[in-house]
Amino acid sequence: MKSIETRYMEERQAAIEGLRGLDRRAFMRVSAAAGAAALTTGAVWPHSFQPLTFEANGASPLEESFRIAYISDSHLYTKEVNDRFVRSILRAVDDVNRMDPQPDFVFYGGDLAQLGQPAELELGAEILKNVKAPVRMMVGEHDWYFDLGRKWRELFGEDRYSFDHKGVHFVVLNSVVEQDFWTARGLTPMERMQTVAGLDNGLQNPFMVGEEQRTWLAKDLERIGDETPVVVFSHSPLYHLYKRWNFWTEDAPQVQKILRRFARCTVIHGHTHQPLTNRIGNIHFHGLLSTAWPWPYAPEGLPELTVQMNRPDPFNPMDGCGMGELEVSADGLIDKVYRLWNRNPVTVSAAYLKSNGQDDRPARTNASSY
Amino acid sequence: MTVSLPPVRRATLAAGVLLAGVMVWQGQEAPHGATPFKEQQAMLRRLLPDAGPGRPAGVDPVFWDFFDEEQANAAQIELGQRLFFDTALSQDDTVSCATCHDVARSFTDLRPVSEGIFGKLGRRNAPTVMNAALIEPLFWDGRARSLAHQAGQPVLNPIEMGMPDRDKVVAKLAKDASYAKAFEAAWGRPVDYKAIEDSLAAFQRTLIFLDAPFDRWQAGEEDAIGEDAKKGFALFNGKARCATCHPLNAVNPLGTDYRFHNIGVSAHDKDFEGLAKTALTALEKDSSEQELDRLALTTDMSELGRFMVTRNYADVGSFRTPQLRNIGITPPYMHDGSMQTLWDTVDHYNKGGEVNSWLDGGIEALALGEEEVDQLVAFLFTLTDRRFDAQNRQQLAAQRKRAADQRPFRDEALAQRKKLGFEDRAMGGK
Amino acid sequence: MRIDKKTGSLLAVGGLGVAVLLATARPQDGKPVQVQLCDGETSVSLPAEPASRAEAQAVADGLMAAWKAKNPERAWVMEQDGQDAQEALLQKRFQLVGPYDNRAMLGEGQAEGHPYRDFTERDVVLWEREVRRLVLEGAQVFHDANRLGSTIAVSCDMCHPDASNTHPETYPKYQTQIGRTVLLRHMINWCIEHPVRGQPLAEDDPRMIALEAYIYAQRKGKTLQYGRH
Repeated sequence: MKSIETRYMEERQAAIEGLRGLDRRAFMRVSAAAGAAALTTGAVWPHSFQPLTFEANGASPLEESFRIAYISDSHLYTKEVNDRFVRSILRAVDDVNRMDPQPDFVFYGGDLAQLGQPAELELGAEILKNVKAPVRMMVGEHDWYFDLGRKWRELFGEDRYSFDHKGVHFVVLNSVVEQDFWTARGLTPMERMQTVAGLDNGLQNPFMVGEEQRTWLAKDLERIGDETPVVVFSHSPLYHLYKRWNFWTEDAPQVQKILRRFARCTVIHGHTHQPLTNRIGNIHFHGLLSTAWPWPYAPEGLPELTVQMNRPDPFNPMDGCGMGELEVSADGLIDKVYRLWNRNPVTVSAAYLKSNGQDDRPARTNASSY
Repeated sequence: MTVSLPPVRRATLAAGVLLAGVMVWQGQEAPHGATPFKEQQAMLRRLLPDAGPGRPAGVDPVFWDFFDEEQANAAQIELGQRLFFDTALSQDDTVSCATCHDVARSFTDLRPVSEGIFGKLGRRNAPTVMNAALIEPLFWDGRARSLAHQAGQPVLNPIEMGMPDRDKVVAKLAKDASYAKAFEAAWGRPVDYKAIEDSLAAFQRTLIFLDAPFDRWQAGEEDAIGEDAKKGFALFNGKARCATCHPLNAVNPLGTDYRFHNIGVSAHDKDFEGLAKTALTALEKDSSEQELDRLALTTDMSELGRFMVTRNYADVGSFRTPQLRNIGITPPYMHDGSMQTLWDTVDHYNKGGEVNSWLDGGIEALALGEEEVDQLVAFLFTLTDRRFDAQNRQQLAAQRKRAADQRPFRDEALAQRKKLGFEDRAMGGK
Repeated sequence: MRIDKKTGSLLAVGGLGVAVLLATARPQDGKPVQVQLCDGETSVSLPAEPASRAEAQAVADGLMAAWKAKNPERAWVMEQDGQDAQEALLQKRFQLVGPYDNRAMLGEGQAEGHPYRDFTERDVVLWEREVRRLVLEGAQVFHDANRLGSTIAVSCDMCHPDASNTHPETYPKYQTQIGRTVLLRHMINWCIEHPVRGQPLAEDDPRMIALEAYIYAQRKGKTLQYGRH
């Protein structure tokens, strides 16, 4: 059973293969024809067949395109404390398990637990065992600040690591490092955790990657060529958006500096629970959806490229939540798909970012945050 | 033409009519088991002695004015009524609107899905036409933008009335001189399809049944409904969260949000993804009104609901929120008529529906206790128009009896959140 | 408020319409006197203890002016001794938006001699303290699943950090799903019953009043747009 999206991707892939041999002018003709065909059929695809853009020289760094699914920010309490958030991550697991074909792997974007309790993390691990595809984990602050990562690492291993997949270099960071605010105040582990767990709790410090990881990152990337597609996962956005809610990584500019030389670099982050899009230099940034609840957009600092999702409807308790996919194209760039439950999927394409918002713009919001 | 039903079906029908408690039904029947049209018409005269409906006391005047400004004239209504009962609108002269919207059966047929020409069964439950004039869009998937637009479609549907096309319908009626005269009187022109649709709409606009014990209670008559029902209404607006999609008040007198939701009815055996793919292919070939109507009623794609109309993934498996007026006397329930009693419907919501990838986010387990379920049902039975008091009492008794025997949709573990909605599906992964 | 417990004396001076509490080191041996504002930071060195009320006022005014210069966005509140550290912490945690500054009502002009207009600095300070107290109480309820009566450990801030997306300025509005025209409190109660999964509060429940106070306070300056969806 192939989904509509799968078929779309296959068609797209076939088109890419077929177009590789064409010169630029021939390609333009083909794109126009494809566009016209799409218009006349009137088909409503999740995202209509867009004329593809790729480098004029036709060189693609990857052998094939592939797809990654994601689940993020589930904020699990134990089932006895809160059944709703458990049900929501189960829904997301069901969703990814039904994808056909299966994604190459499923990325978990952090904040699996709500209060970093071992039982919460164990429950999350137990649920994620049911994901059919391999799962890659990232840590969030809600997972970390009860025992400073002890349980999380016991269950999931290193909080920063890298790997290569089909020609793309992936890096996973722990971007939720905070300077110690708890020792001087004599906080218990639970008090420390609860402080960090409050998005609007001003008694904590800004997130950062930290010098140690930056050094590690620079070293990790030493062997990676400028043309290799690089994808960095960080729980918090790797840029400065809104400090008060830690939609922010303090040392993001230094990290960006390390990533600047890569021609195809995408940063995927959790934490913000909303469609969020940014581009700084050549680096593309995308947020992930939460399965538990959506956050409002920050009152200031929203990147211009972000097209807000419609304000979630509180009368539908899962509105604004969901999961989604990363479609890694053969050109090494990523189309980000937000699968908001009960809404049409929204794709924020690489073409949109590459053109600085000129092409392939997602549908505008008509109920923005205010 | 006579239609012979298998004995079991006959028994069910007889029971259904008995439940509705309307007519003494003595073996005589119109084709397809409908109440004889003469009896229906007699009943209609008793129900609606006046020409047109006035504004029911419980309905907001502004809401009513939006409806009332389009009121038709007497000739149009009369013509509409005649057409409503005329089997000539069907290919084999056995089916009229009143076959499935039987006056004596709460303006529906009290069957899970309706029977059309040659005994063909459709895929969807016939909604009552009571108050249908106040609802837009129509059909379970909203593919008709108005009552008139709706009225013309069953006539052409291959398994409902089966007429091949509009021209044939017009020609057939025009042969009857009295029709030509009636159309002339009503619309000032010969028979045409639009006039047929408009006449049927004009007649149905008189079928307003919004005078229920609930309205009298809202107006201050404390004894109009029982204590159980009052508690049920509090649950309806509160813990049971019904009012989110079924707002019920002066400006929402029907108890519907006129929107579409996937509430997980019979979703467990549906391959929505595969169906959606098939549907997109089919609709790409032909997305005409008639084809859409056919696909919706005769194929498995019926279960895609609103998606067939919008082709939006957000609409997969979603159906229009039905009105709650006269709900007690219009079983069975849901788009496929899969639930026999109101206890079943409350059980369904209480357990959080059948989970599926497009389940509405508002559908989750409600943790209602048995007493609360009973209170909700008691409340729902206060929404029946007083002209159907007798049927309402009989339906309540019959449904209560059936529910005492069987509650196929009750799932305590899910309802009380001991087990979670997506648990079985997600945890069977590897 | 910080005071040198061994030698400190408390000199309360009403100045500039705010309570300025000075901690002084008792002058001994003719040494200069260090006077510190009770923020624990702002201080001034005096050759001797102020001799008169007027002198003390001048010192207080000077210190307050220095504090205001350092903290242009903040309003000064007199706090109860012993609670200030805790409340300062809460202020830092919640970053409460300060209320309207009523000091313009003080001083000379038409208010002079008018029985209902001659407010004192004390009035203004106490008004501010009281309203802040309620807002602070509201902030705590807003962030506390237990006090909200949640049965699933959900608090308001989990969807509405800093009371964002609460839109108190848009009420009253007709809310179809509730079936009537509602005020902020009705929507709060809807949230408490459903996403928070608790029991709705009585409309005069102190928690409800505090919640409304906090939400309105955080949306200070928004234009009233009742009926907006």
